[in-house]
Amino acid sequence: MSTTPEFREHRYVLNMGPQHPSTHGVLRVILEMEGEYVMDPQPVLGYGHRMHEKMAESRSWPGFLPNAARMDYLASLIYNHGYVGVVERLAGIEATPRAEYIRVITSELNRLQSHLLWLGVLVLDLGAFTPIMYTFEDREKILDILEDVTGSRLTYCYMRVGGVVRDIDDKFIERTREYIKWQRSRMPMYDKLVTGNIIFRKRVEGIGEFTPDLARRYGLTGPVLRGTGVAYDIRRAEPYSVYPDFDFEIPTETGGDCLAAYLVRVREIEQSLRILEQALDRLPEGPFLAKVPKKIKLPAGDATYAVESPRGELVYHLTADGSEVPYRMKIRVPSFSNLSILPEVCRGMLLSDLCACMGSLDLVIPEIDR
Amino acid sequence: MESRDSVIAALQSLPAQVREVDFRQRGYHLEVWLEPERLRPFAELLRGGDFYLSFVSGLHVKPALEVSYQFANHAFACRILARVIVDAEHSLPTISDIFQGADWHERETKDFFGVVFRGHPNLKPLLLAEDMEDLKPLLKKDERLKDRAAVTRAEADVAEKTPAPAGGEEGA
Repeated sequence: MSTTPEFREHRYVLNMGPQHPSTHGVLRVILEMEGEYVMDPQPVLGYGHRMHEKMAESRSWPGFLPNAARMDYLASLIYNHGYVGVVERLAGIEATPRAEYIRVITSELNRLQSHLLWLGVLVLDLGAFTPIMYTFEDREKILDILEDVTGSRLTYCYMRVGGVVRDIDDKFIERTREYIKWQRSRMPMYDKLVTGNIIFRKRVEGIGEFTPDLARRYGLTGPVLRGTGVAYDIRRAEPYSVYPDFDFEIPTETGGDCLAAYLVRVREIEQSLRILEQALDRLPEGPFLAKVPKKIKLPAGDATYAVESPRGELVYHLTADGSEVPYRMKIRVPSFSNLSILPEVCRGMLLSDLCACMGSLDLVIPEIDR
Repeated sequence: MESRDSVIAALQSLPAQVREVDFRQRGYHLEVWLEPERLRPFAELLRGGDFYLSFVSGLHVKPALEVSYQFANHAFACRILARVIVDAEHSLPTISDIFQGADWHERETKDFFGVVFRGHPNLKPLLLAEDMEDLKPLLKKDERLKDRAAVTRAEADVAEKTPAPAGGEEGA
């Protein structure tokens, strides 16, 4: 809990970012160094701050849907899901069963592409260039599938209150099934190429000491928390949508280091594939959008909707005053709390290990800055 | 604290005003109203009960600004929303020494609403630029500022006495 770094003669200050390849966005970290050791890393936020919460107060609630996709550009559909979820909860609207399944299918595809990007760039940060070429080949297949149904490749605005904007067709289902098969066939390769690679393991094993208590003190959630042995996933802890229908595991590891977070994420890929398979098999027939009035006034009161993003707990807290415009929208983003542990966890670490640590947290900076 | 009932009992003995609300309508289990001087004992209680801080947020209403704290628990489904009204100096005690994660959340609330958290080690702008300290972008202009009652859910649909179903089964 330091404030201004104390000046010591043998220490120097190194400025990492705001333009640095391994911060993956406009994040600046002021590092007080002693030789190659980081003695005090202090993140500086706000370079990408757009005040989304204020924008929410100045437009009717459907007008905020495109904003929802632009906070975490790697989990746009999950942000969509949380936003329509909180509006539905407050307005007392229910989406159709088919729509809930489509939401889960597209959300899980979204999670998969986020994890694949993370897998590539984590290893890239550590100096290996090859794996990102393979993970992007996989990721491209998901983007193609989602582009067909949503019309965009990154900042999706696909979900609507009561359902989704367009139905999925047989071609979508067939391509997703092909993709599941493809992704499974690739995992043994990643196992050999990355997980079993001695150089990679030396770079992540024992790096970072994450504990369940540290996670509680800082509000750390997501795969890094599950890497400390806590099986906490919003999809299970506070089930939303149709997640209770599916049989899937919450992978955990007990190492509490960067390797544990890595292993959890890789195992989550298989779990998302399992959810996809089951959802495609049981996809109910029926309308993909419930009949909802064109103009909905949100009743006075407040509601919370929590979802599991690829990085942890995402919470929308909406307060309404009975008009068509939200009175107050609070968005709790996982990377914000996850990054706040950096000064404590990375103190005394080698600079190169700090990059491994930040890579394991899987930060998305526009989400932190909002 | 192993269950929601023991949490309610512990909170009531603080004392704090606790109400069990319908998760399907609200998305959280317990709504708590606190006096500012009970905020720190409240945080210490939850810290001891292995809760984690989800977020700190503000709400600008008449007559006074309100700060809300949301907590959840890894072991059992119990999401708590605690509301505290700021004192006459627009300030509240910090909880950043109890939950270190509150450090940034409190700085953000200071940025957006100008709430001063007493005892905070480093209450500098976090998301806003350093010269924007007086901006307070989420404070409402007078014509848009509403009474607390205008953003309060109508009491009719609050199931105060109905026991909420166990955490695992209640979806959206």
